[in-house]
Amino acid sequence: MDAMYLMNSLWTMVAAILVIFMIGGFILLEAGSTRMKNAGHVAGKTIFTFGLASIVFWTLSYGLIFGGNANFLVGMTDFFYSGDLAKPEEGGLATTVFFVFQLAFAAISVTIALGGFAERAKFSAYVVFTILFGILVYPVIAHWIWGGGWLAEHGKQDFAGSTVVHLTGAMAALAATILLKPRIGKFNKDGSSNNIAGHNQVYTALAVLILWVGWFGFNAGSTVSVDGAFFGFVALNTNLAAGAGAVAATLISWFVLGKPDIPTILNGALAGLVAITASCAFVDVWASVVIGFVAGILTFYGARFLEKRKIDDPIFAVSVHGIPGIWGTLSTGFFATKELASVGKPGLFYGGGFDQLGVQFMGVAVSGIYAFVVSFAILWVMKKVMGGIRVSEEEEIMGLDISEHGSYGYPEQMDKLAKEANVVASKTHVSS
Amino acid sequence: MDTGVLTYKSIKIWKEQNISKYKGDLAGLNAFHDQVMKKVLEVAIVQLQKGLPPCAFSWFITGSGGRFEQGFISDQDHGMIYVEDTEECRSYFKALGEELSDGLALVGYPYCKGYIMSSNPLWCKSLESWKEQLRTWMESESWEAIRYLQIFYDARVLVGETLYINQLKNVVYKYQLEQPNLLKRFMANIMHLKNTIGPLGQILVERYGPYQGCIDLKYSAFVPYVNAIRILAIKEGIYETSTLSRISELVKKEKYTNLLRNCNDNFELLLKYRLSLFKVDDYFDTHYLKIAGLSKAEKKQIKQILKTGIRIHDEVIELIEKGC
Repeated sequence: MDAMYLMNSLWTMVAAILVIFMIGGFILLEAGSTRMKNAGHVAGKTIFTFGLASIVFWTLSYGLIFGGNANFLVGMTDFFYSGDLAKPEEGGLATTVFFVFQLAFAAISVTIALGGFAERAKFSAYVVFTILFGILVYPVIAHWIWGGGWLAEHGKQDFAGSTVVHLTGAMAALAATILLKPRIGKFNKDGSSNNIAGHNQVYTALAVLILWVGWFGFNAGSTVSVDGAFFGFVALNTNLAAGAGAVAATLISWFVLGKPDIPTILNGALAGLVAITASCAFVDVWASVVIGFVAGILTFYGARFLEKRKIDDPIFAVSVHGIPGIWGTLSTGFFATKELASVGKPGLFYGGGFDQLGVQFMGVAVSGIYAFVVSFAILWVMKKVMGGIRVSEEEEIMGLDISEHGSYGYPEQMDKLAKEANVVASKTHVSS
Repeated sequence: MDTGVLTYKSIKIWKEQNISKYKGDLAGLNAFHDQVMKKVLEVAIVQLQKGLPPCAFSWFITGSGGRFEQGFISDQDHGMIYVEDTEECRSYFKALGEELSDGLALVGYPYCKGYIMSSNPLWCKSLESWKEQLRTWMESESWEAIRYLQIFYDARVLVGETLYINQLKNVVYKYQLEQPNLLKRFMANIMHLKNTIGPLGQILVERYGPYQGCIDLKYSAFVPYVNAIRILAIKEGIYETSTLSRISELVKKEKYTNLLRNCNDNFELLLKYRLSLFKVDDYFDTHYLKIAGLSKAEKKQIKQILKTGIRIHDEVIELIEKGC
């Protein structure tokens, strides 16, 4: 058998495992950024939705993205993928490996989307939305850009999914957080807002590190090839953008708030990673530093903007994956070089004029709007049909660990707090 | 007051009826608080049913009351010094101190969370034991002891002999002359300031909560002035307790004219801003000033106040660190 085929398959398999491990990062990220009473729920539902998304991807999503006989929206073959290997091509890789790799990406996207549900959605809403997102939202955008759809034909550059994975997830998260409304206690009647601090910054920081490492699978792995060891270049760009994002976020929070703010620093690293995801294979090394740096600034102001608009973005899904996702996608329109633009054209700064920037803009706008509108519609219908997608006020206050699952992530601490709350409830004659 | 018999309850009613007269008048308000507390002591002595105090004593208040900076509501901060170190006096003043704290609480001065009250044996002592205690505090140099010493230094006498408190402050003054390290310990205790001016020169406001967009005048504006001026007062043996009178004593010394330039004016302005926040009706003092609601000139003024406070604080630190 062809050695390249085997090496490509092996490298992409390693990358797929790295991406799947990012789910662990998201568990820690969401758990750390939210309160103790929801920690078990966050951890458990993330594993569950990864499982469910895998099944959905196998039954439908894969075929919708990459299947043949495609219409404008999606492909129509290869459902219930049987594990058959396509005829090995020179420079190709095993279809099974490609399937697992793509499955991991779809799972990351829905995980980001569900971040917008944090701390107040019914468990059943997670179940239904994971299925519908995997059929109606993600496959369409992935097909357009990666599955040979119309944006691919335009030469849209999105190497590893700033748009496909991150922006799509973030737009669904935005729709969800708007429809779910802010968490109890986030905004006051007089218009001021409160900081609902996450319960463990160490979790959040470890999450960022896990995601950062996993991102080498995400970006460098998206070469799906060892040819020319190009993955090394992609990894280099990826790491520098993450670093620049963290540094930029640290500086901007320091300047504006007077102190370097830990959640902002962590978001900055992630924003750098999200932004470089589209451009990592198309831009020079110095440009990746610029792209990451700008993303770090954008995520800081993005979070403040959303808060001012009274949008509760509990785990920064929109300000970390959405806004930097848009910037990252547009960035190739400026920075893509002649030599590296294997897809599309060089950017504005490399003599490509506005052509590529226009394509990037169109791609990001159409994809973002599609993801938002369809997700919003799905959730709106779910709200009507399911009798609401948010837990009751009482359940939200007691926490989703106990209300949705019947046991706590931190049983010793939470049992004690719950007992104290019961004393208060009995004193005020509220049944509990 | 209408009837002859004074009780905690009648004092409370009288206080509530009259306190609103002092809206916008800090000196008047503090004098009124003094009057109320003096009456509480009278009632406490009667309530105690142990007769008149067996020896000369003085009852002092400290904290914001000591500095004449009390708002409408403030916690009690007080202590006692009695002259004779006998068993009779000890038990009498211990009982009086407890009665007094309860009485003040009944009249509307919440108990001090740090237990700086005459009911606490640490703050109710004979003159000799006080001297001993101050020395122990100064020698131990523990974090808590240094805090207590600074609180003690803001004490002023409400009832009784003024001499004692000055004698005690003199103990501190003498000690630090011989042991300059003490001032450094004081300094270490107050080094932390809440950031109020950002690197770009902007005012840093509260990011979240009911006071979003406000600055906390008490912690971000008063603290640097009050603490820095107190250190200088200790260093120079000034026994005045209000920050303004400490400043006016200090500026008489030529070596401080440069350091304390604009200090008095800015601190007076600060007092004015704080006074504008006092609301009697809420029965709750707020120290939060909404920045967005201010005019451009007012914002500039606030910035000037904050910057001057920080500058004086930093320069005093430098001065003390250099060993003067």
